[in-house]
Amino acid sequence: MAIIIDNNIETIVQGVTGTNAALHTKFMLEYGTKIVGGVTPGKVGQEVEGIPVYDTVMDCLAEHPNATVSSVWVPPRFAKDAILEAIDAGIKTIIVITERIPVHDMLYARCVAQEKGIMIIGGNTPGVISPGKALIGMLPKIAFQPGRIGTVARSGAVTYYVANSLNLAGLGESTSVGLGGDPILGTNFEDVLRLFEHDDETDAVVMAGEIGGVYEELAAPYIKEMSKPVIAYITGKAAPQGKRLGHAGAIIEGKMGTAASKIIALEKYGALIAQTLSEIPGLVKKTLGRDVS
Amino acid sequence: MRLYEYEAKRIFARRGLPVPPGVVIDRNSYQNLDKVIYPVVIKAQAFAGGRGKSGLIQFASDHTEALEKISNLLGQEHAGYTIDRVLVEQKITIKQELYLAVIIDRLEHRYLIMTSRQGGVEIEEVAQTSPQALLKYHLNPGSVIAPFMARKVASGLRLNGPLLNAGTELVLGLYRLFLGYDCKVAEINPLVVSDDDRLFALDAKVDLDEDAMYRHPDLKELGITARHEVGELTERERIAKRAGIPYVDLDGDIGVFPGGAGFGIAAIDLIQHYGGRPANFMDSGGAPTQEKLRTMLGLLLDNPRVKAIFGARFGGISRCDDWARAVVQYVVENRPTKPMIMRMAGNMEEQGRKIIEQAKSVHAEFFKKIKVYAYDMPIEEVIKETIRAAQEEKQ
Repeated sequence: MAIIIDNNIETIVQGVTGTNAALHTKFMLEYGTKIVGGVTPGKVGQEVEGIPVYDTVMDCLAEHPNATVSSVWVPPRFAKDAILEAIDAGIKTIIVITERIPVHDMLYARCVAQEKGIMIIGGNTPGVISPGKALIGMLPKIAFQPGRIGTVARSGAVTYYVANSLNLAGLGESTSVGLGGDPILGTNFEDVLRLFEHDDETDAVVMAGEIGGVYEELAAPYIKEMSKPVIAYITGKAAPQGKRLGHAGAIIEGKMGTAASKIIALEKYGALIAQTLSEIPGLVKKTLGRDVS
Repeated sequence: MRLYEYEAKRIFARRGLPVPPGVVIDRNSYQNLDKVIYPVVIKAQAFAGGRGKSGLIQFASDHTEALEKISNLLGQEHAGYTIDRVLVEQKITIKQELYLAVIIDRLEHRYLIMTSRQGGVEIEEVAQTSPQALLKYHLNPGSVIAPFMARKVASGLRLNGPLLNAGTELVLGLYRLFLGYDCKVAEINPLVVSDDDRLFALDAKVDLDEDAMYRHPDLKELGITARHEVGELTERERIAKRAGIPYVDLDGDIGVFPGGAGFGIAAIDLIQHYGGRPANFMDSGGAPTQEKLRTMLGLLLDNPRVKAIFGARFGGISRCDDWARAVVQYVVENRPTKPMIMRMAGNMEEQGRKIIEQAKSVHAEFFKKIKVYAYDMPIEEVIKETIRAAQEEKQ
């Protein structure tokens, strides 16, 4: 089966009555994702796209005990509470679409999730898609085709363009994961690389990172342990000095955080570096061809 | 959001952390100088590191000297910023300089209290040259700090005997301030022991989480409101800031009208890779309103430096139909003459395309230089075409 989500999983939507959540609930259903319920406190009895709305996650799971995955669409000030509620009710994977969640809130939620072995993806993630099987989040389906390449990226649009460039070259994705654009993330590159390494539907992985933070550097040593090739595309090479387009590293991060430091670290551990989006499919084909022969 | 020293010290004072007595002076408040006790230290309020070396920290032993030095500092340009304020504080005679900070450890995803007996220098330097001089204490996110823990930290700084209580209170206070105000950084460097054995936060560095400002309304009472991170903004950056659009002016001629921040960063790389020069970085954020999108377009098209626009919408949470409506309305109202080479794919694409086709059929003349490609056109081909269009415009 695909990583994180598959055609068998049952999922719920927290904040389902919001405009964006409702629209994307429709898109997710059209894609074939099994959404069994939605949650908005105080709106029990309503329906969104034919999906029943509950007041609490616990009420929702009482009716739909097989739901294991939730996506969170609530406003940022309620995100921490929504995540904790999902964990408390027994959800195993929480995909957090909400962006600009206060840093301390996300750190706390992440800490609780880690203690209980719960996976949080995001905040500010575009979501996760296993093409042809299931989509959770707001990724546009047109950007993805079923295939055997795993992709993982920080930003939403870059996730779409990476898949798009693979598809235009005749390749497709096993699963595409958006890690999210917020400064504190529930899941990082290394976590997803590990999942792809053990996924028998994935032959190679494309990871797309960007300046700021240290998640790319931290993942680099694991690439050397992997049997599957990793193609890395890092953006921010042309970012102006001294102007922040993202969150620059603090002292404990030392010299990490620039595009150059990420590229050097990834290359050192055996990742192939794509300079542009259009180079990605060529490198994928090259590594797979070599592995086959 | 990085605070100025005087702002950080206002928060310190409110929380009972010891700061030297002082006043803030700008061009209209010289009279505040009457309240100080000489000798004083005059500190220009700027984000520059190493202020001492660049003459931004000065001393004065009487009113006349202070006046002269303050009027010299105010209005001075430093690293692109104008100095608008100085902080004038009673001079503390220093026996010892220490370092104390509470930060977010983004590697561990926990809080981190850091101390060093080597204060007053750049802590990055200490970390590089003598990492053993840096003591670290991790705490779980959201957790309170027990007094014994604070005592341990103070004791680690060798604030022993009569200084231990004051040191413990300071650690407790700084940690609670860090937690209570959603800080990313709360740092005292140097934390000094004065010649009469008292503790003072001689400098104060606070970095607040802008996304959590909403839950600290009392900051407004202290005169602290959300603002751009650092530095002087260009006129366009100011307009963008007011409209809530992350925008940075660059020095090229291709206006970049991307979707999110991530692709904005990628687009700048790709334009440079193919020999073009981007005029800006910009981010629409998720699901921008049409009004915001029109402001974004205006920022680019009103910029005389911009010769051509590269636009991209891969509709995820940001819908193609909203994007198309904003483009059409902007074009019909403003009739831009610069080429706009764009690509639109993703959610609500079909609806978006209808909107553009319809506008084209009504106002063909406004859309002569505007192209909106679809899914099957590789994004890098769109970028290359924009670069060519910008070159043609220059000729």
